[in-house]
Amino acid sequence: MLQKLRALAPSLAGFISSTPFLLLMLFGFVAPLLCVVWFGLMPPKTFDVAQMPTLENYYTIFGQTYFKSILWSLGLAVATVSILLVICYPLAFTIAKVFRSGGYFITYAIVTSLFVSENIRLFGWVIGFMKNGVVGGTLARIFEINIDSLLYNIPVIILGMVYVYLPFMLFPLVLGLKMVPDQVREAAFDLGASRWQVFRKIDLPLSMPGVMIGSLLVFVLSIGAISEAKILGGQKVVTIASDIESEFTYAQNWPLGSALSTLFIALTTVIVFFVLGRFDLEKLLGKKTS
Amino acid sequence: MPAIPIMEVSKVTKRFDKFAAVDDVTFDIYDGEFFTLVGPSGSGKTTLLRMLVGMEKPTSGELKLRGKVINELPPNKRPTCMVFQSLALFPHMTVGQNVEFPLNLRGVSSSDRRTRSFELLNLLHLNPEHYYQKNVTQCSGGERQRVALARALAYDPDILFFDEPLSAIDAQLRKVLQKELKDIQRRTKKTFCYVTHSLEEAMVMSDRVAILRKGAIEQIATPDEIYSTPKNAFVAEFMGEVNLLSITMRGRHLADWHTGRNGLPPIRVHIPESIMTTEGHTDRKLLIRPESLRFLGPTETAENTVPVAIINEFSLGSRMQYHVQVAQGCTLIVECLREHRIKENRAILGWETCDSQVLEA
Repeated sequence: MLQKLRALAPSLAGFISSTPFLLLMLFGFVAPLLCVVWFGLMPPKTFDVAQMPTLENYYTIFGQTYFKSILWSLGLAVATVSILLVICYPLAFTIAKVFRSGGYFITYAIVTSLFVSENIRLFGWVIGFMKNGVVGGTLARIFEINIDSLLYNIPVIILGMVYVYLPFMLFPLVLGLKMVPDQVREAAFDLGASRWQVFRKIDLPLSMPGVMIGSLLVFVLSIGAISEAKILGGQKVVTIASDIESEFTYAQNWPLGSALSTLFIALTTVIVFFVLGRFDLEKLLGKKTS
Repeated sequence: MPAIPIMEVSKVTKRFDKFAAVDDVTFDIYDGEFFTLVGPSGSGKTTLLRMLVGMEKPTSGELKLRGKVINELPPNKRPTCMVFQSLALFPHMTVGQNVEFPLNLRGVSSSDRRTRSFELLNLLHLNPEHYYQKNVTQCSGGERQRVALARALAYDPDILFFDEPLSAIDAQLRKVLQKELKDIQRRTKKTFCYVTHSLEEAMVMSDRVAILRKGAIEQIATPDEIYSTPKNAFVAEFMGEVNLLSITMRGRHLADWHTGRNGLPPIRVHIPESIMTTEGHTDRKLLIRPESLRFLGPTETAENTVPVAIINEFSLGSRMQYHVQVAQGCTLIVECLREHRIKENRAILGWETCDSQVLEA
């Protein structure tokens, strides 16, 4: 049937083939997003969508201290990305270029941790770090050093985020580094480059697509992170995501929550596109015809 | 040709576990020559090359460059450079940046780098105005070859090594590039050491050729010597399509040619006298080139004759090639000029004794 159709109208066949995907994107992605944007324009503390749009929620947001939560989210995300880059690049290099096929063991070990829900893993850290928990209890018992709870501070939040998002940085980096041909590295070495020069002039630029994809993935995931700050951080830090959550739940102010979400999505989009614009992925991959 | 050794390889062995990829190899590369290592796949030529450039360390033996032992010197400290099979161009750089890479590492000023890379691109028939800014990923196969060579020349190595860089190029372009490579070697007066599995390629370009087999060198000689006096049947066969007849000596001038395995009586042939013609040896081969064999007309005679059945005819352009059967399981290759082509199914084949050669098997 498709064959007949293709003969009749070539462009129509392509359109029909893409219909299921288009419908999914339309109802699963675009429609809810538009709902959120629209709800953000409704008067505060109402649940009716058929009212006159107003910017009241946005005035409220800019009049209050929500920018603090946004800055906290941004700061935590940037810290997570930076720390993960430093931790994961050497590890990815080892998996991709030193262990090669043996690197699968590390890969499986890390993937297995993803089978357990993020919240459960975070509660594991809580048991480890709480007063008289695994760490404190062990120290008290063996060395008779009594320490207070290690939880509820900023470093432990960052530790949790680094731990949770590690695979999302590691695997793009491994793929990125695997794309660097061995002979190209050898050629640079043969042409007189030191190991450091090979890294700076060959490995790093050629693995840049992996670095970019990993960083963006972790950034987008961690800027919307909520559980780490809540579970490990107590109420020490309020992220924008938990602000949004409380507007929708405790405060029962859906329009304000929607407005916050809209603002937050817009902000993230601007940042991501700015970074993507600065580093042209196609050009990094050497596929661009300039 | 000044025969001053620039690189001396003595008793070099490379073992992987118990397998010796390169087994006790000794040879010299002379200053300014085009030297070629040739052998079938698995003969150890790439392993040997990787030791010469420093990417592998020999298990035993000594590598000397201009009289200095360089076994322990890593590739980036050796004044040698290699053009890889994959060329290994830097895909994130332009042609100009690729060529300038080694100069950049040495801290050559940008104007000097540019002058030098323009010189090199011109030498390799790549118009710098057009190519300097071009991305290497947009270059064709032949252009990439030239960029890789320009980059290696920019390093200004004492010896330039090549690991079959032309193997991925189509036959027509390969012939052009082979001659160009030889031309560049002659003009730059650099020492080139080339590795290939094609003896034909080696013959076209080289001043001297070393033929490798199972990690050992079979013969080192000029292309002329290899063609006229191959050391043994392996070298002769590797060189191209030749006829190798299994023979047993019957005196200094006669031999029995065993045409098949099914108990047919051997054919008595005349052989040229040489150091190889010792009585009773069975492990000898008689080399006859396809062009030395000819079909005899009714009135013609030759020192050796044999009746044959013609199986196949191939056109090679100006010449014709025939596959002819002497007996079950014994075929010969015959080549003649197009005007001497024959139409019959059966013919008498003849050759002169002086056109044949007795070789070690």
